[in-house]
Amino acid sequence: MVNKEEVYSKVTNCLVEALGVDEEEVSIDSTLTGDLGAESIDFLDIVFRLEKTFGIKIPRGGLFPEHILSNPEYVKDGKVTPSGLDELRKNMPHLDIEKFSKDPNVNNFADLFTVETLVNYVATKLN
Amino acid sequence: MSFAGKVVIVTGASRGIGHAIAAKFGAQGAKVAVNYCHNQDAANAVANDINISGGEALLIQADISQRADCEKIVEQTVDKWGTVDILVNNAGVTRDGLLMSLDESDWDKVISTNLEGAVFLSKAVLPYMMMQKKGRIINISSVSADNGRRGQVSYSASKGAINSFTKVLALEVAQKGITVNAIAPGMIETDMSDLVRGMASKQILSQIPAGRFGNTDEVAGLVQFLASDQASYITGEIIKIDGGITLGIGI
Repeated sequence: MVNKEEVYSKVTNCLVEALGVDEEEVSIDSTLTGDLGAESIDFLDIVFRLEKTFGIKIPRGGLFPEHILSNPEYVKDGKVTPSGLDELRKNMPHLDIEKFSKDPNVNNFADLFTVETLVNYVATKLN
Repeated sequence: MSFAGKVVIVTGASRGIGHAIAAKFGAQGAKVAVNYCHNQDAANAVANDINISGGEALLIQADISQRADCEKIVEQTVDKWGTVDILVNNAGVTRDGLLMSLDESDWDKVISTNLEGAVFLSKAVLPYMMMQKKGRIINISSVSADNGRRGQVSYSASKGAINSFTKVLALEVAQKGITVNAIAPGMIETDMSDLVRGMASKQILSQIPAGRFGNTDEVAGLVQFLASDQASYITGEIIKIDGGITLGIGI
C-alpha cells in the first residue's frame, strides 16, 4: 500500500509548481478550479507533473474528461445528459458522479476535482 | 548573447536560413539539434561548424511532414539533453504553380511540411517547456503570407496559417512562460529564393527600399533576439524582416 501522506505531499508540490500557488493555500479539500484557480492548460500541466513525479502513465482523458464535456451528445443546454453521466461513470471512477448528477450543470463539474481526487487517483494507480 | 547550455531544435537546418540559425546558436554555446530531411552532407557540415565553434550538435534526419518524425525529433533531443528550451520551426518547401494547374500532392507536401510540421513539433515540445515554465517557439513564416505572388497559393496559404497558429498558440501558453512568435522574411539570399531572384532579380530589387536582398545571418540574428531573455515579454508577434519590401511605394 502506498503512503497517502507522501502522495499528498508530492501532489501538493505538483500543484504549487503547476499553478504557482503557495503551499499553504493547498489543502486536501481545495477545489482545483475554484480554490486554486486552475485553467484548462493547467490540467495538462498537472497531468505531466504527476506522471513525472510518480512515474505513472495517465492516458489522455484518464484523469480529466477531455472529450466527454465537449461532446454535444453528452451536453445539452449546459447540462450533462443521462448518457453523458453514464459515460462519466464508466470512464471516471475516481469522481463522485452521483453527487454531480443531482445538478449536472457543466459549470459545477470542475468542483468535483479536489486535491483529494488527485491523491486518490494517484494512489490507485500506484497500487 | 549567450545561449550556453540551451537546447535548441532547428528544423531544415542543413541549408539556407536554417543553417544560419543553427550555426549562430552553436557559436553561442547552445546544444543544437540539427534536423535535415535529405541533405546529409550539408547537415554534417553544419554540425561540424557547431562543434568547432563551441556548441554541441546532434544530427537528426527526419521528414517533418510525417507526424511520427516530429515526435522522433523531440524524443531524440530529450533523450540526449533532457529538455527543449527553444524550437525554431524553419523547414519549409515550395511547390509553386497556378492553382488551376496545381497538383494535389504538391499542395499536400507544402501544407504538411510548412504548417503541420510546425504544429506537431510545437505540440511535442510544449510539455517540456511547460514543465520548466519557460520556452521559446519561433516560426519562420514569410512576407508571402500577406503579400504572395501569383503561383504561391499553397506557400502563401501555409504561411498565413502559420501566422494564425502563432497568435493563438501564444495565447494558449503565455501563462506558462512560453512565448510564440513568427518571423516573416522577405527576399533572402538562399537556394530557395534563388530561382525567383535569378528570373527577376532587377525587378524585385527595384521593389526593395533597402536596395538589396537580405542575408541569412540577419534572419538568424532576429531569431536569437526572440529566443533571448531580452524578448521575454514579446509573444504572438509576426515580425517582418524584409528591407521594406512590404511597405509599398511612397507617393
